[in-house]
Amino acid sequence: MTDQTTHLTEDDRQSAADGTLPVERRADVEAHLADCDACAADVARITELMKRTRDAMLAPPSETASLDDLWSPIRARIEASKVVSLGTGARPSNSRPLISLIVGGIAAALLLTAVMLRVRPSEPRTSATAQATPDTSVLRAVSDSATAYEAEAQILLDRLEIQRATMRPEARAAIDRNLHTVDVAIAELKDAIARDPNNPALRQLLATSYRQKVELLKRANAS
Amino acid sequence: MNARAPESSRITSAESDSARVGDAVRRARQGDVGAFEIVYRAYAARMYALCRRMTGDDAQSRDLVQDVFVRAWERLTTFREQSAFGTWLYRLGVNVVLEQLRSRKRDDTRHTDAGEWIAGPGSMGDRLDARMDLDAALARLPAGARTVFLLHDIEGYSHDEIAQMTGIAPGTSRAQLWRARRALMGMLDA
Repeated sequence: MTDQTTHLTEDDRQSAADGTLPVERRADVEAHLADCDACAADVARITELMKRTRDAMLAPPSETASLDDLWSPIRARIEASKVVSLGTGARPSNSRPLISLIVGGIAAALLLTAVMLRVRPSEPRTSATAQATPDTSVLRAVSDSATAYEAEAQILLDRLEIQRATMRPEARAAIDRNLHTVDVAIAELKDAIARDPNNPALRQLLATSYRQKVELLKRANAS
Repeated sequence: MNARAPESSRITSAESDSARVGDAVRRARQGDVGAFEIVYRAYAARMYALCRRMTGDDAQSRDLVQDVFVRAWERLTTFREQSAFGTWLYRLGVNVVLEQLRSRKRDDTRHTDAGEWIAGPGSMGDRLDARMDLDAALARLPAGARTVFLLHDIEGYSHDEIAQMTGIAPGTSRAQLWRARRALMGMLDA
């Protein structure tokens, strides 16, 4: 029971506004609101606030385009997590230590890439790129190194292709899995370099990834 | 007749999009990262909006969007196709944001477990300009009150659900909601 001298409690007013009044309170509260302008006005204000905020909050976001650049770091993190899980997968026992090492290195490279990719182009860069004018001779040397490893990797890949027919299926699958991991890392790095071409750290990571791919292929060819 | 054609093609297009995303979810569950990119592009904006509403901060929201999708990838195998993927992802997103807010709670000098207001530059005592942007008003709420307000009044969760998700009592959730509404009314009204 309510009367106009005591007004509704905060609980009643808030619940009346959002429609969560217990059934047993409804009749009393509605009767009070019909006669008490102050409580009715307060409930109306709360209802209006709820409507106003809900309309504003649920309006379609306008930032869809700017979210595109988040996919690369997400993918890098996903690939990095997949790499870590490879350590428990079935692989030929003689190749496990080296592959684990390589995979670990790639995981680290991917994580570093993810961190670097999270620096958005619109923000002032704090990386080595921004701190110093890129030394073109360093960039060229690192690029040459990556190119040389890439060429060597291609020769080894061609050689491996010939050997594939004689390999055990599980060994072939393990090599393919690890090559895929390295290739994903390389793709991510190339993508990052395309957006930040003068970053020597990214180029160094790319060269390292190619070198690791070469080591993986050498090992596969020797097995 | 002419007026109906665009509507029907919109429906067809929406159905086709939904089928495409549904197929992408299925392929992503099997480990296809490329398919997961389709899922990301379908839900990223909505997830960003959720994170932005709950944190009030663009940079933090962008980080959280990444966390949500990485977590979604890791948990995809737990998604049961009987429920809507969007609902599953949304719930997961809310949990990721809440975890983040909880981890920052100790650093938030404006908030205590009981949801008390603490005087400071952004305290309720400062009556803000009547035309203040809603986002800015929300950002000035203590974290606990903002979270409950958004989960209840915007996202539609009940106090029992909020209590389950945040670890507070339903009664505390109600009290936080009322405080948040009153504070917003104070900041947004002339």
